[in-house]
Order: sequence, then structure tokens, then C-alpha cells
Amino acid sequence: MNYDRPDLLERLAAEYVFGAMTGPVRRRFERLRLTLPAADAAAVAWEARSGPLARSVPAAAPSPQVWSEIDRRTGGTGEATAQARARAGAGWWRWLAPVAGLAFGVVATLGVVRLAPDAIVPIEAIVQERGTLPQSYVGLLTDTTGAATILASSTRHGRTMSIKVLRPIEVPAGGVLQLWALPRDGEPFPLGVVPREGKGSFEMSDTSEKLLSNVPRLAVSIEERPASTGAPPSGFILTGHCVKLW
Amino acid sequence: MALSADHALLIARVALGDRTAFRQLYDATSPSLMGVALRIVRDRSRAEDVLQDAFVNIWHRAGSYRAEAGSPLTWLTAIVRNRALDALRSEARHPADSLTDDEDEMTDIQDDRPDPLGLLTQAADALAIRACLEAIDGSQRQCLALAYYHGLTHSEMAAHLGSPIGSVKVWLRRGLEKIRRCLERAK
Repeated sequence: MNYDRPDLLERLAAEYVFGAMTGPVRRRFERLRLTLPAADAAAVAWEARSGPLARSVPAAAPSPQVWSEIDRRTGGTGEATAQARARAGAGWWRWLAPVAGLAFGVVATLGVVRLAPDAIVPIEAIVQERGTLPQSYVGLLTDTTGAATILASSTRHGRTMSIKVLRPIEVPAGGVLQLWALPRDGEPFPLGVVPREGKGSFEMSDTSEKLLSNVPRLAVSIEERPASTGAPPSGFILTGHCVKLW
Repeated sequence: MALSADHALLIARVALGDRTAFRQLYDATSPSLMGVALRIVRDRSRAEDVLQDAFVNIWHRAGSYRAEAGSPLTWLTAIVRNRALDALRSEARHPADSLTDDEDEMTDIQDDRPDPLGLLTQAADALAIRACLEAIDGSQRQCLALAYYHGLTHSEMAAHLGSPIGSVKVWLRRGLEKIRRCLERAK
């Protein structure tokens, strides 16, 4: 074949990137990419052009073993995980501290200090026993640098999701911030739209208990319009754990 | 967009061997990339193998990321798609399941993944090129969607659509010429 013809290279690159080539033809084109800069440039241009088409594909969470293998194969020691978590976790604990303080304050006034003085009572247990904080689902979403950005909370049997934006979020004109639930098994589903700053709330389609009991993580994406059920999210800009506060 | 800038920064740090950044990049992008791989290879454990190979590749190649490759997510998507397509093709050469007769292969092709044309339309909506996409002839659009989202070859598309392979080749080629103009208009 005469690969000097730009229209031929263009067509081959398009078919290669779109995925229509059979194995042997793909491999031949890959060799061509390595030896002919014009072929590589045509393929890169098609990859750049067509990449946004992939954003309508529903996300799927890989199992934790995938990272362990990647870490092992790239000479890691598991430390990156700990550091990335510590970074993400820093925001979490900064947020928990006042809650813990509040819980201690409330239980102290309630006279729980009458408990055996040597007993080290976990805060969780006190909160649960005394009901000082209502049973709730709480999510703290962080950005890619691990900075705490959105606090989402809803009482266990309520339908209102309260949102507090801890750091204003940049949203391109016409975009909305969509909050998603990422179930343990299954596709992400939309919960509602969150404000870019300040506080807000929205009504969910059901109670937190129904919607979130099997949801370990929440995430936020930027969408053109509020997502409807079954619509796939575009890329997530914030993610975080969703925990039961009881 | 802030997201792209964040990803670009993470890739730059990965290129310097920053393992924490690598993990953050993985956390931020692996669900969408896993979705892309799963769509093509169809099986969770194969998709996870693809994702694993792709990220090992990303660790070694992060320094080669250039803006002309598109947004960081587009660049990562291309790496994952290429790996997934290679896996799909090598699977076809050494079928894991004994899909020997034609009938089984036909059943296999008519899978239960949601309509790829629907995904193409959604993507076009998000890119504000719906009208441009819909101006493309229906069979050409079908071929674009079957190739891009499911990685079907010309002959697989021909079997799927019940059309001669010669027609499929022409449809895809014309469809690619037209979608190129649409994508260049996309914002």
C-alpha cells in the first residue's frame, strides 16, 4: 500500500481508533505508527477527536485487587494507597473532630460521666446510646487533591439531602453539579443537584435508608442538565465515602 | 475545566514517579475507564486485566502525555481502549469458550449490552452535536456505534446487521468522514 497518500492514512487511522480492524490489521497499523510519524499523528488526532464519545459509557468500579496488582507490577509497596488515603482522610478527620467534640459536650451535660471512670467509651457508642445525633447517612466528598469539598447528610428515614459546600466549586457556564450514589454492586445512580457554594438541600426519590444502605461511596460530576435515572455520569470531580452515623 | 487541569497535574506528578499521585489518578479515573473496558471485552475479570495492563502502561508512559492527545481523560481512554481492543482480538484468535459453530457466535454477538447507538446519541448530546450526528445516514451511524462502543470488526458488523460486508465497509468509511466533521465542531 502507498502510505504516502494522506487520505489513506487518515482512513486507516480512523478505523484503527474506532476499533473496526481485525487483529492482524491492527498490529500492522501499530507497526506503521512506530515507523511513520504521519500515521502516528493521524491516529493521535483521531484518539483526541473521538475520546469524548467514551464519556457516555456507564462507569463501573473495579475490584480492589486491581490496584494491588498495578501497585505490585509497578514496584510499589502499598504505601501509595496509605498516603493517598491519609491525604483524603485528613479532610475527613478535620470534619469529624467538631462532631466528636459536640458529641462529647452533649454527653457530658447529659451526665454520662457517671459511667465507670476507667471506662474508655467509644464516641460512636455514646452517640448511639444517647441518640444525641440522629441516625443519619453522611458523605464527605473530596477533590482530587484530597481537600474536603462537600458535606452531604440525610437522616436515616428522611428524604431530604442536606448539602454544605466547604469550598466553592468551579462549574463551567451552563453546567450543573450532579450528586451520584455509587452502590457496592451496580451502576451509579443520580441523587440530586448540589449548589456550587454555600448550603442547599434537595428531596430524594426515596428515603436514605432505601437509597443508601448499600452505597459505600458518593461522587459529584459536572453535567449539562440534572441527570435522569439510568443516565451515565460523566467524569467524577469529587468522590468520598458514604457512612452510616449510627 | 478544573477537572482536566487536576488530571494533567496528577499525570505530570506520575511522570516524576510520584506514587501517591498515581493512586489518586487511579481513584479519579478508574471507574470511567473500567466502564470503557467492560463495554468492549464484556467480562468483568477481563476488563480488570485490561485496566491493570493499561495503568502499568500509564505509569511508564506518563511522561509522554502531550496536549495534542486531547484532555488527560481522552489520553487515558485511548490507552485503555487500545488495550481492550487488543484483548478482544486475541480472545477471538484463541477463544476461551468453545464457540465453534456459527449459531453460537451469532448468539454471542447479539448480546445484552444496551444499544450502542443510544450511547452515541447521548455522547452527541453532551457534545452538542446531536443534529450533526442525526444528519448521518442510519446505517452509517449504526456502524460507528458498533465499532466504537463494542469494537466490532467489519465482518462482525456485517453479521450483526445482516448486511453484506462490502456495504458495511462503505457505511463505516462514510460515517467516519462525517462524524469527523461533527466532532471537530464539538465543544
